[in-house]
Amino acid sequence: MNNLAERFADRKVGSVFVYTHEAHPGENYLHLTSIEQKFRHAAELRDQLCVTRPILVDALDGACHRAYGTMPNMTWIFNRRGRPVYKANWTDSVSVGNALDDVLALPRRRREGKRLTPFNVERVEYRENDREAFYRGLERCGPKAVREFKAVFG
Amino acid sequence: MSADDLIARYNYDEFVPEKFETQMSFGDTPPLDEPAPNFPLWRLEDGGETDLAALWSANAYTVVEFGSFT
Repeated sequence: MNNLAERFADRKVGSVFVYTHEAHPGENYLHLTSIEQKFRHAAELRDQLCVTRPILVDALDGACHRAYGTMPNMTWIFNRRGRPVYKANWTDSVSVGNALDDVLALPRRRREGKRLTPFNVERVEYRENDREAFYRGLERCGPKAVREFKAVFG
Repeated sequence: MSADDLIARYNYDEFVPEKFETQMSFGDTPPLDEPAPNFPLWRLEDGGETDLAALWSANAYTVVEFGSFT
């Protein structure tokens, strides 16, 4: 997603990361109980996972995150008027890039004389799921996080 | 639910379905192409307050990824 942000930065596209709650709390990163702890964890995310986009911290009760669905790693795209033009319950940079290409092509299509009418579509997309990398991330959280995930999903 | 109870429920202490699945509600989220709700957010960089509206009004489009370290 960092690469995607860089790729579209000169096309009037902003990209941010909103820090939510710990999806897999473990011995090394406990569940959140204070806003100070939440800021520390967000800084760890920035430094260890090299997130180059601006990071915004949600309220401790997750007011923003909850209003948008409470999914652990979802992505939304908003236009300048604050209307969502894309929402996905999981983050996939290919999917997000395709959506940006589509909306950024609208002015050109209109200049070409096309009469465009919006419509909504729902579809299932498939992302690559690197289970080994995911488990490495869980191990960073601590054995408890690994144990709990395996208990749920095997 | 009290504010403290809400914070504790949202920031669950263990990854078990009864604590995380009950919170996920993507089907009830704001619809596409209609005004979306605004919320305050705080910049990691300096702790200053901003909000979603300030973010989305700064560019033609704004990509917002939600997530955490874990």
